[in-house]
Amino acid sequence: MTGKILVVDDDPDILDAVAMILESQGYKVVTARDGVEGLATLKAERPDLMILDLLMPKMDGFAVCKELQDARWAEYRKTPILILTSVREDASRRRYELETGVELDVDDYLEKPMSPDVLIKMVSTSIEKKKSR
Amino acid sequence: MATLKNNSRKLPIRPETERTPEEETLVMRLDMFIKMRWVAILGVVLVTIVARYAFNIVFPTLPVYIVCVFIALYNLLLTTQLRELNKSPADQIIPSARRQGYFHIIFDMLALTVLLHFTGGMENPFVYLFVFHIVMASLGLKYREVYLLCTVAVVMVASLYGLEAAGIVPHVNLEGFVLPTRYQETSRIAAQLVVLAVLLYGTAYMSTAIVGEMRRRRREVVLRSQELAEKINELESAFGEIGKLKEERDKLLYFIGVAAHDLKAPLTAIQGFLWVMIGGFTGEITEKQKNLLERSAARINELMRLISDLLDIPRIESGQIVEEMKEISLHQVIFHSIEVQRNLAETKGLVLKVEISKELPRIMGSAPRLQQVLNNLVYNAIRYTPKGTITVNAQEREADVLFEVIDTGIGIPPEDMSRLFQDFFRGSNVESKGTGLGLSISRRIIEAHGGRIWAESPCHGTSCGSKFSFTLPKMSKPRKS
Repeated sequence: MTGKILVVDDDPDILDAVAMILESQGYKVVTARDGVEGLATLKAERPDLMILDLLMPKMDGFAVCKELQDARWAEYRKTPILILTSVREDASRRRYELETGVELDVDDYLEKPMSPDVLIKMVSTSIEKKKSR
Repeated sequence: MATLKNNSRKLPIRPETERTPEEETLVMRLDMFIKMRWVAILGVVLVTIVARYAFNIVFPTLPVYIVCVFIALYNLLLTTQLRELNKSPADQIIPSARRQGYFHIIFDMLALTVLLHFTGGMENPFVYLFVFHIVMASLGLKYREVYLLCTVAVVMVASLYGLEAAGIVPHVNLEGFVLPTRYQETSRIAAQLVVLAVLLYGTAYMSTAIVGEMRRRRREVVLRSQELAEKINELESAFGEIGKLKEERDKLLYFIGVAAHDLKAPLTAIQGFLWVMIGGFTGEITEKQKNLLERSAARINELMRLISDLLDIPRIESGQIVEEMKEISLHQVIFHSIEVQRNLAETKGLVLKVEISKELPRIMGSAPRLQQVLNNLVYNAIRYTPKGTITVNAQEREADVLFEVIDTGIGIPPEDMSRLFQDFFRGSNVESKGTGLGLSISRRIIEAHGGRIWAESPCHGTSCGSKFSFTLPKMSKPRKS
């Protein structure tokens, strides 16, 4: 499997664990520690998939999703997003809708702790889908 | 919320030193009497001039002007008296104002009688102006005083007419207006007096009745508005309380949110590493190592579940669940929770049967929370059923929807039944690995929806091990928690 994956999470141990799992599958992994760094890396590295944590300092995952809705990010919008967080999916969706008034538009949602098998499956599905688009 | 808190200013309730509307109007009326008196003086002078020169009615005008000067003088006196009244203490105002009003009217009636004497006595039709005095009296005085004043007026006029007729007091004839002999016609005098008396008493009766009614209504309005002001104050402080409680609740929920995240973050990282190792992503491990790592992962899972469960309780009890409620489809709730459990049932060789009516009403509820309840009940059923069938029922009833999860498992010992839904209760006949919070959380969720949850074991007339049932009301009446 090939593809470049950006992982954004404030917990370095999670970054390491995810990176180990994905690199074992042949993906190239780049990481960022918060939303601001994540957006910069998205611009610089143009990954095939972004794995995004929601609760982070400086700029959280909600803010990143919201920022990506802006016209300036139009060319990055087709990059699939996989949310990887300890927040329950329904709670996140409710919060995002309350704050922005629109639905959280992401490709997949995985709650931590993540089983490596499920993570690998989701990542490959998302990347396949992107390539076929 | 903040605006509510700052908004705790009291509505103006009358300070003790301020006058009641009743006192205010009495004083205002005395002032009005004084002004009207000036107008009356002017009127007398005008009528005299018009009668004398335009209609050529002959009578001595000098005494009329003298009486006018006299009225002006006592009017000035009354003006200063009214000023004094304004300075007197509040509880004195009503009695002194009444007394003053009474004397105003006595003076005026006396002045009118004197004027009548100098302008023809019974020949003068202005005698009916006494009606004015009675109306004015009924505005501020007691009923009895008003009737007394009527009598005073009738007596004064009767005496005037009588004394003139008898020749004790000289009579002035309005030359060119009335025949000079009429003032001694007894029947005329009597008729005029009767008309005057009827007019005055009749006016007194009607105007005191009207004024009395108005006064009663005004008192009622004052009373009601005071009650209203008190109610509004109560309401405002209640709103303040609610605001404070909501603020405290929000703080608690924020705290729980942060605590949940911070407690789970390190466990999540550990779990991530464990799974990376178990999955062989860091190289081969021995079976023994793998076994220990898996057991560690299981314990971490257990701890994570406990944290979730513990933090769920205050979330539900603080009423957060009510905010999550919206119109939901029960079919979807059931479908989602069954899907999660189907694999587990199949691996245990159990049959998972779902019997729900095609038409289920939509209800107000929190879909994820209701899924949590069904998940929990179905998971328990699977866990405590070695072989057989798990049946999930849902049917609409008159006022609610009834859900049942029936298993053919080991059942529940009678001594456990009463404590089943309590916190940290674990069955005495099972080697449980749960947190002991699943059913107590389910109970809280159902009760927050306004429903009821209960268990039966063994169920009547069937082979079932245990049956868990709960209801959800059709109308949205979430219980306040």
